[in-house]
Amino acid sequence: MVRVMVVDDHPMWRDGVARDLAEAGYEVVAAVGEGRQALRVAGAVLPEVVVLDLRLPDMSGAEVAKGLAGMSPSPRVLVLSASAEQDDVLEAVKAGASGYLVKSASREEFLDAVRRTADGDAVFTPGLAGLVLGEYRRLAAQPAPAEGPRLTDRETEVLRLVAKGLSYRQIAGRLVLSHRTVQNHVQNTLQKLQLHNRVELVRYAIEQGLDAD
Amino acid sequence: MGIERPFWRAIAVFRVASLLYAAVLLAQHRGYAEPLTGWLVIGVMGLWTGAAIFAYSVEALRRWPLLVLDLLMAVACLLASPYVEGARPPGEGTMPVPATWIAGPVLAWAVHGGRRLGTVAAAVVAAADLWLRVRGTDAPVLINGAVLLFMTGVVVGHVARLAKQAEERMQRAVEMEAAQRERDRLARDVHDSVLQVLALVQRRGQELGGEAAELGRLAGQQEAALRALFIRPAPPPAGVMDLRPLLMRYGSEQVTISTPATPLVLPGPVAKEMAAAVGAALDNVRAHCGPAARAWVFAESGEGTVTVSVRDEGPGIPAGRLEEAAAAGRLGVAQSIRGRIEGLGGHVLITGVPGEGTEIELTVPA
Repeated sequence: MVRVMVVDDHPMWRDGVARDLAEAGYEVVAAVGEGRQALRVAGAVLPEVVVLDLRLPDMSGAEVAKGLAGMSPSPRVLVLSASAEQDDVLEAVKAGASGYLVKSASREEFLDAVRRTADGDAVFTPGLAGLVLGEYRRLAAQPAPAEGPRLTDRETEVLRLVAKGLSYRQIAGRLVLSHRTVQNHVQNTLQKLQLHNRVELVRYAIEQGLDAD
Repeated sequence: MGIERPFWRAIAVFRVASLLYAAVLLAQHRGYAEPLTGWLVIGVMGLWTGAAIFAYSVEALRRWPLLVLDLLMAVACLLASPYVEGARPPGEGTMPVPATWIAGPVLAWAVHGGRRLGTVAAAVVAAADLWLRVRGTDAPVLINGAVLLFMTGVVVGHVARLAKQAEERMQRAVEMEAAQRERDRLARDVHDSVLQVLALVQRRGQELGGEAAELGRLAGQQEAALRALFIRPAPPPAGVMDLRPLLMRYGSEQVTISTPATPLVLPGPVAKEMAAAVGAALDNVRAHCGPAARAWVFAESGEGTVTVSVRDEGPGIPAGRLEEAAAAGRLGVAQSIRGRIEGLGGHVLITGVPGEGTEIELTVPA
């Protein structure tokens, strides 16, 4: 059974999500309402998947995602967000979350997203694809674009189709690719971005450290 | 209006200083011809100086009666000069008894009413001053005093008006910032929890089916409406707009909007026209595929361009259908959208695969 932790400050919502997950055959190992608590508990119960609300009382969702990504073994993080806080979503994904879903998604969509997250696949809504494409474009437009991550033409093509609301199956059909290949392309776009983000963080830390000496 | 207070204080200082100056002048000339009358005039000036300083410091008293009385006092003291100095002033260049004190009301009028009132007050006082000089001496009439009075009235009035405008603008900016903060607070505290509950109702409703599903659907609509309400209006630099908030308004249960996290900046009219074209495209989707049809709006920036695509999953357009319609002179909604976008120097790409829906791609130069 896949071990899932739910992090959401809204009790009713938290219980509802936990119940849905339990009914669908997941083992809900913890359901907490705060970021710090989430990081502490995650270290003890070692969930495989964390369903994370972006809006928490004590920390931002991105900070929690970063903290979870730093654990070993690190759980996969599926971000659930009620509001269209685009910057927050992008930050959380760059910090290591591998999927994003709006809270108004149906139960089936939600369970499907959890299943795919548990399988190690990236869960992209059209909205997230738009954000990721925009982020690559922003990085490419920066003064030293050579260092930044780049999308291949194929990856750009796939992401654009995701942003336009096509399912992986439809994309596979249109581009004459296998479903798996489409998934890999999407996955790659996210991993490159997360890697770049980690490199940037390390560089920043080194610069700060050197300045301090 | 807090900005006026320093002006009134400065005028008070000026009045006291020029009162002392007038007294010193009188003492130097040993009271001219009529010392008693001279000191009487100085006494009246002193009393009025005190009264005026107090009266101008009270906002409720800063009205026409005070301004007019102030001006009359100055003119009266000025016109009393011949009775002190004798019919003919002792020498060329002699100041009237109140000396620079007569500029007090000019300053007051200018601060109260701006350049124009300042000029009016200067005209009244200068007229009295010139009249004295014209009748008093055969020497050429010195107009220095009059020129200085006009300058005082105009410059101080102008500066006071500018200061007041600056203060008003500042006030408005502060109010706007407070409104934005309040909006942010609402978004943070209220918005999120309300959205959560609405999303929950929507989801549970759908699962329960029947009437509950209808309630859920309504909750979903409200969720989308509320979400759109709290999307920050980007602070627009002059003349340009962020396209994203304009597009976000179209978001609903059926319509998904995808954008970058960074602003899509377009000239204001272009952004509005683009948003209107997207709206027309979405109306078109509803008209052809029914109100429940899903649609996806995806906006991105390219090399000096902004592209928005609107995709639906309707029956699609058979190949050649568009050309056929255009040839027959039946220009559909899609064609009117094309006209709009091409009018902005952009272009429209319409692709339709039967069974796979239609996609309209609008590109405009940024």
